[in-house]
Amino acid sequence: MSRQRPASSGLVAGTLTQIGACGLFLLTLLAGIPRSGRYLRETIRQIWFVGAMSLTIIMVCGLFVGMVLMLQLYHVLSIFGGTSAGGMVVALSVYRELGPVVTALLFAGRAGTSITAEIGLMRATDQIAAMEMMAVDPIAYVATPRFLAGVIAMPLLCCVFCGLAIFGGHLVGVTWLGIDNGTFWSNMTAQVDLRTDIVNGVLLKSLAFGAVVTLIAVYQGFATAATSEGVARATTRTVVASSIAILALDFVLTAFLM
Amino acid sequence: MSQPRSSYALGTGLFIVLGFAALAYLATQTSSIANVHQGDTYALEARFANIGQLKERAPVKIAGVRIGQVQSIALIPGSDVADVKLAIDRKYQDIPRDSVAAVFTSGLLGDQYIGIEYGTAKQALEPGGTIALTKPAQQLEEMLGKFFGAGGVADNLGGTYTVSASFTNVGALSPGAPVKMAGVPIGVVQSVRVDPLKLDAKVILAIDKRYDHIPDDSAAAVFTSGLIGTQYVAIQPGGSPDMLVQGDEMILTQSAMQLEDLIGKFLVNGAPGEKPATGAGKTGSRQH
Repeated sequence: MSRQRPASSGLVAGTLTQIGACGLFLLTLLAGIPRSGRYLRETIRQIWFVGAMSLTIIMVCGLFVGMVLMLQLYHVLSIFGGTSAGGMVVALSVYRELGPVVTALLFAGRAGTSITAEIGLMRATDQIAAMEMMAVDPIAYVATPRFLAGVIAMPLLCCVFCGLAIFGGHLVGVTWLGIDNGTFWSNMTAQVDLRTDIVNGVLLKSLAFGAVVTLIAVYQGFATAATSEGVARATTRTVVASSIAILALDFVLTAFLM
Repeated sequence: MSQPRSSYALGTGLFIVLGFAALAYLATQTSSIANVHQGDTYALEARFANIGQLKERAPVKIAGVRIGQVQSIALIPGSDVADVKLAIDRKYQDIPRDSVAAVFTSGLLGDQYIGIEYGTAKQALEPGGTIALTKPAQQLEEMLGKFFGAGGVADNLGGTYTVSASFTNVGALSPGAPVKMAGVPIGVVQSVRVDPLKLDAKVILAIDKRYDHIPDDSAAAVFTSGLIGTQYVAIQPGGSPDMLVQGDEMILTQSAMQLEDLIGKFLVNGAPGEKPATGAGKTGSRQH
């Protein structure tokens, strides 16, 4: 698909080939997990790189998402005199949809691209081939630690995002617009359920998104054509493919988890 | 070589701790876990004929203050009585033995909870005891039924006779709507159509033959059951010695009130220093 422009019928076949290859790559990755046990430090370094380094953007975005959500809701809810439900609606919409999805999109842009670019450049500069010659398994040393790091970091980032969104909603709703502090929290705690909203919404969804985004990023890195143009194209494809995958998967997950 | 790696490890550890702290915050402070008191509780039992939409962990309240929660709900085997176990905080010990437990709804659309109304008995309920007096949940349908009195259309076994009535406005009245006197259905609306010459609504009422002593100067009015209910024709008896018979026309009618007119009148009349505008309101309603 990357070599020649596909005809319109080839587009479907090309997409299917990509999905199939990606699925096979997932199996390779999973098989590589036991072998990557001795590269634990590399995994931790990757958690630092994809997780901790993404914290700033996640926190700032979470704060603003919560703030703007509260602001919008306040104006709509004031029509019905229901502004005290604002905190509850912010919490539910962030936990169930916005938190996991926006975190995953940001994560794809911030961490997914850098993973693809890094691995793609390793390929373009023959570092992967060099590893193989030195009998270092590139799947166990390069691919699996990044995949695991993404799977571990995404739920944590999502929790931070949600926490900051609630804080932002509180800031706008209570501090600025004057919703009563007590009703803000009691309405929220009355409606938010630990299992359906936090475990199913925040944790499970973000775990799935983390796996999908890093899988696509690592796969695109390994599938890069070994040129600088190839690296650029692979990076773009990572963002496009993960965004589509996140939103499509979100629908499927919501349908199953609700 | 190990220096940068350990700083990564430290930062990563901090990141993981931060993530889990955020998770703990979400789970304990913003979810329903925050409402669960895990203090000392004692058990009480109450039996209800109907619990409506009551759920486990629903609050138990006295005077609106939460004193515990519903522990479990089960059907007593072999009967149609619900057995509800309550967990009450140890702090609230002295609930009189003749207190009444009732299933209430918070607000019009809210969740249901158990409210305990204090009795006057000297003895308090023992832990593990049963609240003997209970009130089942009010089903919305039953309440609406009582409120609107729409107990169905009169059976017309004895046959009907028809009278007509002209209205300037029938609102949303449609054929099949009940005709009521003193709130009791006595017939149905047979047809609603526009008189081609007088340009008002001509309504044919089919009234049960049993009710053949309706004075012929009675008034027919289009009313609405409640705020959002359906419309019906109410007959207000007059004082004439002559009775309505088949084919008569009722002269005195009162058209349907439009909610907009009502609110308009209310606003206009309610404003201080405004001159009476009832005339304007009436012509306004006629024009509709």
